Amino acid sequence: MKIKNKKFGELEFDEKIIIEFEDGIIGFENFRKYILVTEEEGLFYWLTSIEEPEIIFPLFPATLLDENYPMEEGYEVFGIVRLAKDVSEITINLKAPIYINQEKKRGFQKIFDSNKFEINKQLFVENNSD
Amino acid sequence: MLVLSRKHNEKIRIGNDIVITIVNISDNNVKIGIEAPNSVKILRDELYESVKQQVSEAQKNTSEIDTSTLKKLTERFKKK
Repeated sequence: MKIKNKKFGELEFDEKIIIEFEDGIIGFENFRKYILVTEEEGLFYWLTSIEEPEIIFPLFPATLLDENYPMEEGYEVFGIVRLAKDVSEITINLKAPIYINQEKKRGFQKIFDSNKFEINKQLFVENNSD
Repeated sequence: MLVLSRKHNEKIRIGNDIVITIVNISDNNVKIGIEAPNSVKILRDELYESVKQQVSEAQKNTSEIDTSTLKKLTERFKKK
């Protein structure tokens, strides 16, 4: 199967890798089928709709920020990242994470109604200058 | 929109398996009890709207930063 978008150009993939989000993603409930695009050595994942390939959600593993972040058995957990030109404005959503089971090809979004998790948490914090 | 008037402890049924109860009423605040199957997503609207906004912005900004810069930025997570 082939899809095309501005970010990646043409992507060719086996239909077996399609991940199904039965309930969609908030605000994008009508889109259910995605592929998880990764880049060599990159930590970012790009959840790309195959129904509307211009819809891409940048994902970052939530457990890299918080090793105690709520897990689901068999699933990897990611936060949706809002990218920005200014690095300090790049934020990750830890309030509405995306869970993906790459083996079962299923995904879902969860929402935590708690102040413990931020919706716009700064992803890259300058701690010490290199 | 259907508008119904209810008193304290009165209920509303929606479909076969959703029951809404007016648990408490005070000046500017109503406590509502909701019984529904687990599969029904129940969210305060402002939370839904804020998530929707973040998700929509994230989806629009995928090319705001180039991949090589992103890779460099994530290096520090790998060293941990």
